[in-house]
Amino acid sequence: MIDARDVTKRFGEGASAVTALERVSLHVPEGSFFTLLGPSGCGKTTLLRLIAGFELPSEGEIALDGEVIGHLPPNKRPVNTVFQNYALFPHMSVARNIGFGLEMLNRPKAEISATVEEMLDLVQLGAFAARRVDQLSGGQQQRVALARALAPRPKVLLLDEPLSALDLKLRKGMQGELKRLQAETGITFVFVTHDQGEALAMSDQIAVMSAGAIQQVGTPEEIYTTPQSRFVADFIGDTNIVPAELLGYEGDKARIRFAGGQAVLANAASATLAPGAVHVAIRPETITVCDAADEAALLHGTVLDSSYFGAGSQMRIRLRGGTEVQAQVAQPSPTGCEVGLIPDTSMLQVLVD
Amino acid sequence: MDKATPKRTLFRRATGSRELRRQPLFTGLSWLVLLLLYAPIAVLIVFSFNDNRSVVVWTEASLRWYETAIGNENVRKAAWISIQVALTATGVSTVIATMAALATTRGGDFRGKSAAIALINQPLMIPEIVTAIATLSFFSILRKLTGISGIGWLMLAHTVFCIPFAFMPIRARLADMSDTFELAAADLYAAPWQAFRHVTLPLLMPGILSGAMLAFVVSLDDVIITLLIAGPGETTLPLYILGQIRRGVTPEVNAVSTILILLTVAMVALTFALQRKRK
Ligand SMILES: Nc1ncnc2c1ncn2[C@@H]1O[C@H](COP(=O)(O)OP(=O)(O)OP(=O)(O)O)[C@@H](O)[C@H]1O
Ligand SMILES: [Mg+2]
Repeated sequence: MIDARDVTKRFGEGASAVTALERVSLHVPEGSFFTLLGPSGCGKTTLLRLIAGFELPSEGEIALDGEVIGHLPPNKRPVNTVFQNYALFPHMSVARNIGFGLEMLNRPKAEISATVEEMLDLVQLGAFAARRVDQLSGGQQQRVALARALAPRPKVLLLDEPLSALDLKLRKGMQGELKRLQAETGITFVFVTHDQGEALAMSDQIAVMSAGAIQQVGTPEEIYTTPQSRFVADFIGDTNIVPAELLGYEGDKARIRFAGGQAVLANAASATLAPGAVHVAIRPETITVCDAADEAALLHGTVLDSSYFGAGSQMRIRLRGGTEVQAQVAQPSPTGCEVGLIPDTSMLQVLVD
Repeated sequence: MDKATPKRTLFRRATGSRELRRQPLFTGLSWLVLLLLYAPIAVLIVFSFNDNRSVVVWTEASLRWYETAIGNENVRKAAWISIQVALTATGVSTVIATMAALATTRGGDFRGKSAAIALINQPLMIPEIVTAIATLSFFSILRKLTGISGIGWLMLAHTVFCIPFAFMPIRARLADMSDTFELAAADLYAAPWQAFRHVTLPLLMPGILSGAMLAFVVSLDDVIITLLIAGPGETTLPLYILGQIRRGVTPEVNAVSTILILLTVAMVALTFALQRKRK
């Protein structure tokens, strides 16, 4: 559906130039809920604006359905945007806002009013057609913005942090509503957020971005369980990042050894790293805590504290090298106790720095 | 005691307006300023209704000077010329100012942008008499070269000095206005002119109205440039009044001046009404 090939975007010239995107390549599958996830300033909005046509790429090309659109103005692209601040036209009624796209496309009046009705129903705002947009609550404005962008039935809908202005409760509700709208309309959604929970909950695919580059693309599960780089592991959340020594590759696995432990095989995205110091991601729920003297222990440390969270306890352990890790266990060991840790090696992931 | 201090400041703040009114100088000063501003105008208006030749001795209320003024063909002609010139200058200068404002706020970063803004605003800083003399000599050359004469030159001169007045409020409004609305319109398949027509223009209207009002009032009131540029038979209302008071202030002049004030006030009121209706 959308293909970005080696897209670079620079702002300004000469010494003051800012590179917002650096050779970004991306494939967004048709009909998917695709999320761009990354910290502030990593280039998410810039990528979205390039797809919408508000900016032109400095290098590279963007194609929609195989047709290069990178240099068309926004009004010539079958792509619509839900703006972060909604940008509803304040001098028009709700209905005229929603019908604006079709009006500009010179569709017949009857078709416009039928579509507007349909859209108002879709976002459950049937009673508000004649209202002025400044007489609506934030959540209602949000839904008008969605209806307005969906009414012309674009091939792609772009959403730039559309939920960030809403309070927590409304946001949870809108997350579900967005998923429903995407499923009902079958339109490809490209969704921008810097909230990893939101991204994991809503997306078919996530592209994690950092500093103008795409770090990893995958399903929420892939991103969560097999982060390929230290950045992704760190950004996605509560995983442990532990130093280890890379001994070499065996097939698609990496042979690694933690300080003081024996060598084991771990997952690796690609056999690109030179032997030596690396970092390995260990999810807290894949760690078994054992006796310090246990032969099977790969890591050793001291229990700092533990806290009960319902389904079990979360232990904080300081490893011998000084790194702090978390482990989720049914029965926590007492604070100050020396313990051994046995991670599930099938879930170990060697990270690229 | 130290507990009472913050309380008293709080109290002061809450009743700030009353405290201000109680200051002995405040009320007196306000009245003095108002008096200096409006008493002369009030006197002028009152004596325009005086049934007497004198502008200092009141006898009886009457509309006789208005009858005289309106019956005076020269007054009618002057009023008509003033309105023609003001309307033309307002229309043309507002269009030009709007285009200039669009170029300097929506045209991206082009070389010499700040210079362009400064150049548009500069006439406000140049003494009017200088502009008037410069325009006079420049137009004399042009008149001779082209052989064209007529009221067009006066309209052109007014248009030019009205541009910065119209430009200021329009540009201020545009600079305040986020360009996301225009992006949203383009995103929803509006071609550039459609986006302008359906989104930018309606949102910009309050600024355009203010600009047009300023231009109209400035053109209607102008004396110095008009005095030097106007050809024979191109006497505007201010010029007519000026010509009359050379022979002393008469109640008829008061009546004409009152009509001029009325025109200005009507224009301002109309603009306010239009802006309120848009809200
Ligand atoms: N018009 C511009 N001129 C200059 N630099 C820009 C411009 N737009 C964006 N940038 C820079 O490009 C980089 C990426 O910006 P972008 O807005 O895409 O980030 P983002 O990922 O959307 O961040 P956020 O989560 O804060 O919205 C930033 O360093 C930003 O300063
Ligand atoms: Mg952004």
